[in-house]
Formats: sequence, structure tokens, C-alpha cells
Amino acid sequence: MTPPPAMSVAETLPAAAEPADTGDSRVNRDILGVMEGVSLGYFGLLGILVLVVAWAAVVWTLQVYHGLGMSGYSVPIFWGVYIVTFVFWIGIAHAGTLISAILYLFRAKWRNAINRGAEAMTVFAVVTAAQYIFIHAGRLWKLYFMLPYPNQRGIWVNFKSPLVWDVFAISTYATISVVFLYIGLIPDLAIARDRATGWRKLLYGALALGWQGTTRQWKSHTRSVLHLSGLATPLVLSVHSVVSWDFAMSIVPGWHATIFAPYFVAGAIFSGMAMVLTVMIPVRRIYHLERYITDYHFDNMGKFLLFTSMIVSYAYITEYFIAWYSGVEAEQSAFWLRAFGPYWFSTWVMITCNGIIPQLLWWKKVRTHIPTLFVIATFVNIGMWFERYVIIITGLSREYDPAVWGVYTPNWVELSLLAGGFAFFAMLFILFLKFFPVIAISEIKELAIHRKAHAAEEAR
Amino acid sequence: MTEIDRRDFLKLVGVGAGAAAAAGCSDHVEKLIPYVIQPEVISPGLPIHYASTCRECPAGCGLHVKTLEGRPVKLEGNPESPINRGALCARGQAAIGRTYHPDRFEAPMLRKGPDQLEPISWDAAIELLSLEIAKAPGAVHVLGGDPGETAGKLIDRFVRAVGAGGRTVYEPFALEALREATRNVFGVASQPWFDLTDVDLVVDFGNEILDTGLSPTEHQRQLAAARDITARPDGGARLVYVGPRLSQTASNSDEWLPAKPGTEGILALALARVAIESGAGTEAHRELLSGVLADAEVNTAAERTEVSADRIVRLGKALVAAGNPVAIPPGVAASTRRAIASTAAVLILNDVIGAVGRSVKIPPEDAFRKRASYRDALALVKAIEDGKVGVLMVHDCNPVYSLPKAAGFEAALAKVPLVVSFASICDETSELAHLILPDHTPLESWGDLAPRDGVRCLLQPTIRPLYDTRALGDTLLDVARSMGPEVASKLPSGSFRTVIEEAWSGTELHAALSRGGEYGELATAPVELAAAAGRLEVVEPVFSGEGDFVLLPFPHSFLYDGRSANLPWLQEIPDPVVKVAWEPWAEISLGTAEKLGLEFGEVVAIETSAGRIEVAVNPRGGIRDDVVAIPIGQGHSIGTFASRSGDGRPGEARGANVIDALPAGVDESGGRAWLAERARLEKTGRHQRLPLLQFSDNKRGRQLGEAIALADLTAPHEAHEASAEGARSEPQANEVHEASAEGARSEPQANEVHEASAEGARSEPQANEVHEAGHHEAHEIREEFQPSADADEGSPYRWGMTVDLDRCTGCASCVAACYVENNIPVVGEQEIRRVRPMSWIRIERYIGDGEPELVTGRKHPARNRESLGDVDVRHSPMMCQQCGAAPCEPVCPVYATYHNEEGLNGMVYNRCVGTRYCAVNCPYKVRRFNFYDYALTRWPDPMRLGLTPDVTVRSQGVMEKCTFCVQRIQAARQLAKDEGRPIGDGEVVMACEQACPSQAIQFGNLRDANAGVVKKGGDPKRAYHALHMLNTRPALTYLAKVQRGPVEG
Repeated sequence: MTPPPAMSVAETLPAAAEPADTGDSRVNRDILGVMEGVSLGYFGLLGILVLVVAWAAVVWTLQVYHGLGMSGYSVPIFWGVYIVTFVFWIGIAHAGTLISAILYLFRAKWRNAINRGAEAMTVFAVVTAAQYIFIHAGRLWKLYFMLPYPNQRGIWVNFKSPLVWDVFAISTYATISVVFLYIGLIPDLAIARDRATGWRKLLYGALALGWQGTTRQWKSHTRSVLHLSGLATPLVLSVHSVVSWDFAMSIVPGWHATIFAPYFVAGAIFSGMAMVLTVMIPVRRIYHLERYITDYHFDNMGKFLLFTSMIVSYAYITEYFIAWYSGVEAEQSAFWLRAFGPYWFSTWVMITCNGIIPQLLWWKKVRTHIPTLFVIATFVNIGMWFERYVIIITGLSREYDPAVWGVYTPNWVELSLLAGGFAFFAMLFILFLKFFPVIAISEIKELAIHRKAHAAEEAR
Repeated sequence: MTEIDRRDFLKLVGVGAGAAAAAGCSDHVEKLIPYVIQPEVISPGLPIHYASTCRECPAGCGLHVKTLEGRPVKLEGNPESPINRGALCARGQAAIGRTYHPDRFEAPMLRKGPDQLEPISWDAAIELLSLEIAKAPGAVHVLGGDPGETAGKLIDRFVRAVGAGGRTVYEPFALEALREATRNVFGVASQPWFDLTDVDLVVDFGNEILDTGLSPTEHQRQLAAARDITARPDGGARLVYVGPRLSQTASNSDEWLPAKPGTEGILALALARVAIESGAGTEAHRELLSGVLADAEVNTAAERTEVSADRIVRLGKALVAAGNPVAIPPGVAASTRRAIASTAAVLILNDVIGAVGRSVKIPPEDAFRKRASYRDALALVKAIEDGKVGVLMVHDCNPVYSLPKAAGFEAALAKVPLVVSFASICDETSELAHLILPDHTPLESWGDLAPRDGVRCLLQPTIRPLYDTRALGDTLLDVARSMGPEVASKLPSGSFRTVIEEAWSGTELHAALSRGGEYGELATAPVELAAAAGRLEVVEPVFSGEGDFVLLPFPHSFLYDGRSANLPWLQEIPDPVVKVAWEPWAEISLGTAEKLGLEFGEVVAIETSAGRIEVAVNPRGGIRDDVVAIPIGQGHSIGTFASRSGDGRPGEARGANVIDALPAGVDESGGRAWLAERARLEKTGRHQRLPLLQFSDNKRGRQLGEAIALADLTAPHEAHEASAEGARSEPQANEVHEASAEGARSEPQANEVHEASAEGARSEPQANEVHEAGHHEAHEIREEFQPSADADEGSPYRWGMTVDLDRCTGCASCVAACYVENNIPVVGEQEIRRVRPMSWIRIERYIGDGEPELVTGRKHPARNRESLGDVDVRHSPMMCQQCGAAPCEPVCPVYATYHNEEGLNGMVYNRCVGTRYCAVNCPYKVRRFNFYDYALTRWPDPMRLGLTPDVTVRSQGVMEKCTFCVQRIQAARQLAKDEGRPIGDGEVVMACEQACPSQAIQFGNLRDANAGVVKKGGDPKRAYHALHMLNTRPALTYLAKVQRGPVEG
């Protein structure tokens, strides 16, 4: 089964400006051009990012050596910024698979300009998220106990624990994301191989696995993408559901809610979309990819953002309603204190950024005004980080026993490692820009071919 | 190589042998391998208990020192001692830290300059001292606390033998007024003993009987027995507390009269008058006391004390109606410049109500015993200033810290040519001493003690002295011998041990040692009111200085007079009342805080006529508006734990020392007046967050710290199947509160703010809300369960516990016992500020039933909910509940915490990876995380030697929690297994249970139908499970506190 003629980029390419015979090479030139040449600005940014990552590495090493006491933990808040950030990055990781798998299956025409970037983001976000598991653990060096490996002691892992589910969910997700990214990259790697020289030629040659663009190869490729999409689709829903069960399976007031799985999945997609916008808008601007990523795409992503924002807002309202309706005093107090207690600021940041600001997207003018969209997406990113902060920290700080209510404030160690995570993600992404095509060349070309075919048909 | 000829060879051999011999001459013997020849009595792994005596306060509780492989690892109460009967308070538990203290002197030291001590040999030191003593005939003074009976006598003999100037006994809390008042009132100069056995009404005039009073462990036990609700359906003894602040004792009382500070005597006389008018007392009383009582008219007294006349009359009548009432005279915090008069007034009241001879036992005069005297200490300062002291020998006390700056002791010390300190652990005084001759610690010493007539306790060494120290007695004997045969002949030959043996020659010493001493009855003298009692003048107290507030220094629950400040556990366990650790604080009323615009943790300057100190404030409802209260005991400038220096050298003081703001003044008899000063409060603008461990005292109606009104308890049972339902105390309890709040309100100068808060808390609509909350609970889906079910089917055991909140006083003995038993690290001030305590038990303290405060939740800490006159305080120990359906178990990814076959919630430290999910999911928040490698960093040498080898020391990054003292279960199991029988009831005693003075904790096997824990836990009305709505199936059953309500006239 071949995908039906899709539209989008091909349609929006100004036909007159593009002589038919140079079309391919122009796409190649534009997109592979991103990989060529390194500006001073790029080096500067990379340098800053590497420095931040290195700083975080030093801080982490110190923390492993001295103990988690270096962080701002305060009983009863045993989970802090590390888990918040872990959930945040897992959420970010959802946009990629959503775009490449689900939107692929739904034949959403606007996905192919952003899918490569989103897939790469997914992989990097999962890698970043996974580090926070290690940062969070009290005994990092014993963390392999969480893997069900055969051992002399005959001790198995506890399959009742949501954390063990996490191990499986995240490792599966990471695997699928990497495979997805790689399969999609093969035809583009072949193009890169054909144009490259030196070590790059060797690298791309090895990675392209002898891709020649034969019909047989294309057929297999298309099939595998389709099947992987089928496999990945439930993962988009399940992985974040499992992550949400870390909270929903516990008895902490404000965590123990059946709404958590869909609430978290919607939140993940919401934040992932926002992160795609946050990343792709500057990339488009800097590398002049306006021809490929157009208002049309931003319009659609804006709608998607609005849609998921509505789901998330609905979940917020439901949470409060159920807390009131349950008649459970602990639950009511927890939610009241969430909004008006010591963490009122975080809560209102969350509601403003995730519920109120995205309402601007009802207007097409806003959706297609790129700077505004960028600002909104950034607010959503901030809001979604605070959402996890609010859920985790306020939940823990106001539990069942008022004698041990506490207050938690992240300290410099946690903030360093938080910054380190962002820097690490950004570092990987900008390195990706220079090594791999950030827009799927083959898909763009495929569209162009379809467009040509349509034109020929019409002419006949 | 050249040949070595015979001569060279011999030379070399000679040099080598000499060097080897010299090396072998060192005094220090190290043993590489312990027990090459194993002592017959020691089997590694099996503890040996030695009876000894606690020296932390004058009460003299008996100890069982648990030693393992020659090292004391835990102090337990001696069950044979009539004083503590097997219990041991927090201070006693922590006393083990003295032996393993990092600040100990390892050898005699000679001062070469400030902060410059050099070790010196004992021979040289003793020679030096004897020469100096010989040089200063008549100018040698010995200053010290109570070193014990025989040691005291030996010091007296030494003083006479060397022709010294004299001996001054000095104790900061010396109870001089009590002794003097007894002489005035009964003509017998002795210290009365208060026996609370079978009392039915106790009126405590500001003496912290449950906390830092005369014999807190004993009084707690006696009072708990007298209030035992199962044996006495009427609720047993009532406790009425008179004092300006809601102290720990006040929080356990049934009625609190927040009288004006220092007016206890006026109140006592008014009560005596009411009692006599209601028919108490004899004709002799009426006659003798007519003059005294003429002034004590109820309305006048009400005006002076600010306790309503109705209340005085009601209480006076209650004292007459009671079968066995007793009044406790003022303690340290209430000792004004008129302390003797007010103490005498309370003694008169005791006589009027017939308590003297029954609960108040007055022993015959004990002229031979040298009593501590503050006036003597001041006289010594004078003598020093006059240059009359050449050698000052200081033992068992720390006057540089505990005497007021105004007394000038520290300044005077500079004039003494030779100051000798016998301190075993460095303190402020040893820091100014020229020569330090370190004494053994009590666990290394022989000694004896007579806490009261009829009771003689023994101390015996339980460990070979860790360092090159020498007992005070031995040092004195050595000094005398070195001064020549003439002096030596006046003192006993032999060592201090033989002196002790001689002193005990009349008894079977071996038997006495194994029992811990000789326990006889207290001899009482038949007494009657002396004529002097009729001339008593009880007037309002005199306060020096200016200011709106009376400065109320009170003994810190754990640091006592400051002597325990260097024991880490006592710094770390939060105060039972305000839950602050590691720091002093200034208590002011909420009204004062509002008026002055002060928030929790703001530093105020407290200025008196004697000095100025800066302390962070802790506003609370349970204190009078005209008082600022600061605990005595903090503010040390030396000590690893007592100060902020972090090692044994002098450094930054740990907060302010309230004594610095006190005048040197004395009371009428020369006793020390603590409550003597007015104070001005001034904002400094600085803020210092106090290390606080409980931020809210509002239990929000949740199932924690429950209470039940006595009326509900005795009312016929209304077929309530839900046990905890019975523990609800809605309608009657509220009425009772209304009444008590009413009482508080009717006081003339009750503060407006308090009025408002009391109003708010008790008014009708609020009460309705409470009812609604109760209504909600009726809807809870809660499964009834059998706690005994949650163990393997074949297991004969399901371990369980009951905690009786009606007995619990919140004294934290259990907490201290748990720390020592389970090798729990003390994490220090910084970590406590970050709220990372490691204690496996915490005492929660809730005020009333509370209500969901939706609006005020943002403040942190939440506003204190105490109010003046309200005693609805619930102390509730919280430890691992060993749930049958434990929320922590399923969430652990690696089975580091699991349910064992005996129903215990096991914790495998080695398996833990530190995800902390268990702690997150524990609704009781009793799991503790090793944020740092406390095991490495928090036991400086030689503290490690005191660790119990039976309990694993946890490493960085693992979770820990209460194990139900699994090592004790194992020990009992071994014994039972050897004898081929199951473990019996009462065979396994938890460390917390053992320490508890009021026997609030009981442990046992829930599968044994006859076990005490099953019977107690089956109480249909009082038993409840903490947070039962969560269906965690705890093995720990709480018994609700009984609200007895104010006494009835």
C-alpha cells in the first residue's frame, strides 16, 4: 500500500519559481545545506551548551559522591525537580512519535515537514529523560537491580511496582523511537552519501545500508514505516500512561486519580508539540527553510496545540471537581492548598500558561504569526514543566499527616542539573542539524513527484 | 661492606635493645586481637547488663547498662529501682554519649595559652597540683555539683586534710527554696518528697513534674498509674497546672490556670482559704493561719493572679472533695525572688488539704549532707575577687556557663592563679582552667548516690576507661599522698573503689551492685505547722528592670540546666512542646507577635537590666501576653554538639544563653531567682528560620491523635461496631471545651486576640462544620479488619503494638531510646533545618480536633492553634505502623521492602536502590532516607564505639524506618528456640516500650489471644488506627486520649 498523493509542501511550493528539472537538486541543496558550513554563532552556542552540560556533569558527580542531600529535598518531599524534569522530558518525547506514527496513519498532510525534527527530538528527549532516573536514584550504582536479570540470589524485580513498568515502557519507547528515526533516515542518508566526501561519505555509506532507491527497496521501506507506525501508535498512549501511573497508583492526595493516564498523555502531546514549535521555528529562520515549513504547518500545529490545551484544561477542571465531589477532606485540602497554599505561584503559572494563553490560538492570525506562536509555545513549555512540579511537589508537601507537612524549594544543584538537561537536549539537537538532514528530503521529493503526476494527469 | 667487629656489634646490640626497651615502656597498650583469652562471662553476641545509676539529673534513676563485648551500647532502666522501675527518660538514654564523646580529654592537660593545651603525665600533674595547694594554705577552694554521696564526703575530708579554704556545692537548679520553705513551715530543714501514687487530684504550681521536675520519670509513672482509665472508670487523678505557659506538663493537664507569673503562692493561699472555708483543715489550721489567710480573699487573689474567682472557688472545693489531693510547689521556672514564700504557701495548702504525710513526705532533717547553695557560689566569687582563692578546683559543674554573667564568675576566674578542672568533656569552665585532670565518665566510674533518704544507688564501671583518665576521688587521694604522709594519713588508704566498698561495708555489696543499690522506704518525720507558718507573707513578686514583659527562663526539656547540651540526641530531638531543635527560641504570645509585627523566626533583642540577648521568636497561643519565655540550656560556646564550632574547640555559640540576661540576684534565702527580670523586646530586622520539625498542629479532623470525652467513654455503649467511631468525641467534647474556653475568657485580662481565636474555634457554625466532617467519615468505605490476619497462615506470630495516648506525655523517651538502640544517626543542625530528621519515632503534637483551614494554608509554619487555658493537646507517637496492606511494599521496584511471614514490614538495606517511592507512598511519613553517608560523617571518633553491633549501620542512599526492633525479636526467638517453646507475651520488649516512663507503649503477638496487646487493642471505644480511612491495616493500634475536663468543685 502506498500512501495516497499527499499535498502540503508540494502544493505550497511556488510552481513558477521551480523549474522541473532542478527541483530535486534544489531540495537537496536547501536541506543538505543545513549540514554544511559552521558559523561562529553555531560554535558559540555549542560551546555554551557544552559548558552547561559539563557543569551539570561535575555537579552530578559531586552529588553521587556526597549523596542526594546536596539537593533541596526536605521531608516529606522525597521526589523533587529530578522527577519533575524526567516526566517533562518523557512528555516532550511524545511529539515525535505522534507526528511520525499517528499522523502518518491518519494521513495528516502537514506532518512531513516537521516529522524528522520531531523524531530526532523524541530520541534526544528520551535520552535526556532517562538520565534523570539515574540522577534521582539514591544508589545509582545499584540501579541495575531494577532489571529482571537472572542472578544467583534468585531475587526478581517487583512487577507490581509502577517503576518496573517504567523501565519497560521507557526502554521500549527509546528503542522504537531510535528505529523509527533511523528507518526514516535511510533514503536521506543515501542522498547525503552520494553528495558527501571524505569521512562523511564513509559514515553515511555505512549508515545508508546500501540504499539504491530501487522499487523493491522503496516498497520494503514504505511497508516497514507503516508497520512501525502501527507498533508505535499504542506506545504513544501507553508510555505516558505508565509514567502517569507512577503517580496514579500511589495514595498521595492529588496523585491518586483515574484521570491521570489520559491527562498525562494529552499533556505530553501538548508539551511535545510546543517543543517542536520552540525548536523548529528558530531552525527554519536560521537555515531559511521557509519554503518547506510554512504557515500551513504552523496553522495546523497551532490547532493541535489548542486542542490538546483544551484537553489538559478540562483535566484540571475535572481534578478540582472530583476533589470537591469526593468529599474526602485530604483530597479537598490538597487541591485547595495547591491553588492557594505555598505553591499558589506554580499552580497559577501552570493554569495561565497551559489553559489561558493557548486560547489565543483560536485566531488564525495568531496561529500564523510566527513570533507570537513561538512565544506561546515557550509559555506552554514553561507551563508544562510547572504542571509536573505542581502535581508532584504540592501533592507530597500536603499529605495525610499534617504534622509532617513541609515545603520544598529546589536549590542550585537541582537547578544546575535542570539546566544541564536542557543544554544536553539542545546540544544533541544542534549536533544533529550538522550531521543529518533535519527535514525528510525523500518525503518532500515524493510530494513533488506526486504534484508532477497530478499536473500531468490534469494536462491530459 | 666492612666487617663488623665484636665491639661494634655489641654497641649495635646495645643501642637496639635500648631502643626496643624504650619503645616498650609506653603506657599505652593496644590490643590487636580482642579476647585472645576470652573472659569467662562474655560470649560474643550476648549482652551483659550491669546495674548502675544515671547521673543526668538529681532524680537518680537506676540503670541497666547493656554491654556487648565489653562496650556499653545502650542504657536501660533498672526495673528494680523504685525510682524509675525500668523506664528511662530521654536524658538518661542519651547519657551513653558521655563515654563516647568526641570532646573527651584523653589525658591530663596543662594550659600553655588560650586554646593551647598540652598533655601532661598524671604524676607531673598531681605533683604540680599538690605543690600549688601546699603554697596556698587556706586559699584552696573546691567548687562542684553533686558528685555523689561517698565522693562528696571524700571531698569534704580532702578539704579538711589539706587545710583548704572550703568546699562550695553549686547546682544551677538547687531547690533551695523548697528546703527553706519546709524549714519555715514545718520546722524541718529537708527536702520533701512528693509521692503521686494513688493521688486523685494534683495541683502543680509551675513545677514541670513530668519533664524537668523533681523526679520526672517516677512522677510520670505514678501519675499515669493514678490516671489509668481501665482501672479507674472515673478517669482517676486530675492534673491542674498553674503557670504562664503551656509547658509539657501543662499540655498533659486537665485544667490549666494561666496565672500571672510568680503569683503561685497567692493562688495557693486563696485555695487554702477556700478549702478551710469548705471544711478542710483542723482547728489548729484556722487558728494559726487566720492572719495569713486574711489577706487571701478570693476576689483579691483573683485580681492579683488573673485567675477567675469562680475557678479558685471551684478548685478549692475540689481539693476538699478529693480523697487524696496534692499540691506541687513551684519549680525552677516559677522561682521568683519570693520563691520561699510561694513554696511555703503551697506547703501550707498541702497541710490544709491533708496531703502532708500522705503524698507529701517530709524526711527528717539531714544536717550532715552538704546542700548546693547559690549564695555560697556568690560568696566564692566575692572571695576570688578579694584575692582569697589561690587554687580553685572545679568538678561536676560548669559555672562559667550556668552562673549569670552579672555574677562576675568568669571575670573573677582570671584572678585565680590556678584553676583546676576535673571535667571529662570540655566545657566553658575547663576552657578557662589551667590544669585539667579529667575524671572518668559515669559509665567508667565507681560511685554512689542517695537521691533521697532510704534509697542508695551504686555506680559501677561498665567499660575499661577509654582514655588516660582518673576518677575524681582517686585524683584527690593521689594529691593528698603526694603532699606528704601527714596529709595522706587523714584520708583513707587505697583507691576510691575501696572507699566506696568501705562506705557500703554494712551491706552485701555484691548483691547491692547487681540490684543497683539499696532500696528502702523513705523515712518521714512527723511534722506539723510551725508557728513561723502563721507569719508567712505572700506578696506579689518583685521584678527588676523595665519592660512590658516578664522574662521567663525555663529548663529545656532535654538540656536541663545546660549540662546535656553536648549530647547530640538531646539537641536533635525536637522540644516536646514547640518542636524546635538545636536552637533556643523565645516564646511570645500570638497577641504580642501581632502587636509587635513579629513572625516566626524573626530575631528579637531581649533587653533586661542585666544584659541583652538576641533570640528568634516562636509565637504561640499557649503563653500569656505579658511573658517572653526562653529555654535554659542553649548558648554554649564550646562543644562539638553544644556549640556551632563542630569540634571540641571554642567557637560560635549555639544561639543565646538566656542566663546572660539574668541578674545575679538571689531570693530571700539565697536561692537562685530565675523569674526575676522584666524585659523589653526590640525588633532586630534579622530573620533566622528556627530548625522546626512540625509545621502545623492542626490535625484537620483526621484520624490522628484522637481523643474521647470521659462522658462518652462512660456512657452506655450505643452498639457502635466501628471502634474508631467511638473515639470521635463530638458533642460532649465540644461542650467541655466551650466550658473551658469560657473559663479562659472570664479572666479579666484575657487578650483580645485570644478571645477572637477561642471564639472562632468554638463558636456554633464551626461546631457544625466539625459535625459535617464527622458525617463525611460515616461515608468512608472502610473495611473492618483483624490486625492479626496479616501474617502467613502458619505463622504463630503477628507482631503488633498499642500506644495509649492517654498515658503518653510526649516526653520523647521513646525517641531517644530508639536513636540509641537502632544506631540512628544524628544529622545535625543544618540537616534539621532542611527537615531531614532520621528518628524512627516522632511525637506529633496536635491541638484539638482541628478543622480544615482552607484559607490560612499559605503560611508556613501554620498559625499556632493553642489558646490560653486550652489543654486539648494530643501527643501522639508516630512510627512505622507495620501495615498489613502497606502502601510502601507494592511500589518498591526491587522488593527492598516487603511483608515478612510474621507480618512485619521488612526493610532490606542492601537491596534498596533509593528511588524513595516507598517514602512517597507512606501516608504516615515514617520512612527515613540517608541523604548523606551519615554513618561515616555523623559518628566522629570515638562515638562509633557505642554503636550496637546487632543493628546494621545504613549507608548513603538507602531508606530506613522502624523495624519493630527486629533484633530484639530475634534475641527472644533464639532463647525460645533453645528452650523449645514459642515466644511468650512480654518476652519481646521494644526499646521505646522499655523506655516509656508512663508505659504508654505495649508490644506483643496479635495471634496470642491472651497477649496484653490484644486485650488493650480491643478497647471498643478508645482503640483506633491512624488514618484508618486508607485501609492500610496497621499493626499498631492507638488508644484515644481521654478528655477528663476541668475539675469539678
